[in-house]
Amino acid sequence: MRRDVFQAIADPTRRAIIALIAMQAMTPNALAEHFDTSRQAVSKHLRILTECEVVKQEQKGREIYYSLEIAKMKEIDEWLEQYRKIWESRFEQLDMLLTELKQKEK
Amino acid sequence: MKPAKVSTPSDQEVLIERSFDAAVDLVWQAYTEPALMRRWLAAMPGWSMPVCEMTTDVGGKYRWRWRDDENNVEFGFTGEMLEVALHSKIVHTQIYDPGDMGGTMGDDASVITVTFDEKDGITNVATLIKYASKADRDAAISTGMTDGMEMSYKQLDEVLNAEART
Repeated sequence: MRRDVFQAIADPTRRAIIALIAMQAMTPNALAEHFDTSRQAVSKHLRILTECEVVKQEQKGREIYYSLEIAKMKEIDEWLEQYRKIWESRFEQLDMLLTELKQKEK
Repeated sequence: MKPAKVSTPSDQEVLIERSFDAAVDLVWQAYTEPALMRRWLAAMPGWSMPVCEMTTDVGGKYRWRWRDDENNVEFGFTGEMLEVALHSKIVHTQIYDPGDMGGTMGDDASVITVTFDEKDGITNVATLIKYASKADRDAAISTGMTDGMEMSYKQLDEVLNAEART
């Protein structure tokens, strides 16, 4: 199955994992401590995140550390920013229209 | 007002939130009366909105069509009103009509829920677009949004000038 960055953020647990590893690289065990779910569940989310290419793994001794692929996350920003601009430009027109309507009411 | 906030609550959805410095009845008018809708939905340089049929009757159909006179292309949206609660909520389906513009936003209708919430004279409007699938959502972004509606942001000055003249 083809995965992309939006599947990465479609789940609340995955969003929380992203927020955690954005600060520092973490092992699956360390991550699991932050959640009520099982270690297996966290591993599954990490697997999906890896397939979405938003995390990278680094072996340090016996442990695997997960960290965030910042560039990949930026794709979300860029995509949403386009969308936001279109709406915002419309809404700016609407602001002006509403100002006019308010003046008429007075 | 703060710029629009856009988020993706799920794979299939996009949520757009924005506040307006006006009472809810005025915002409602701007969202439901064709003469007013045209003023902000069609406000982009070179574009007009030859068709802007709207209804607030549940089960009724609406039809919006934009036209770029210079390049002689049109596209639009159609759909059916599913739920209407005065000054509070509009739910409607939406199907992209590619006209001469081309592109696709999927074959199935998306469902759009617009909620209005006034507090101290400020009206918060939340627009939740639920596409029929994730693929449709991604297609909608890459098609209509990028080229079709690149439109408007340079437009602000023009409108301001026009307003100043009236």
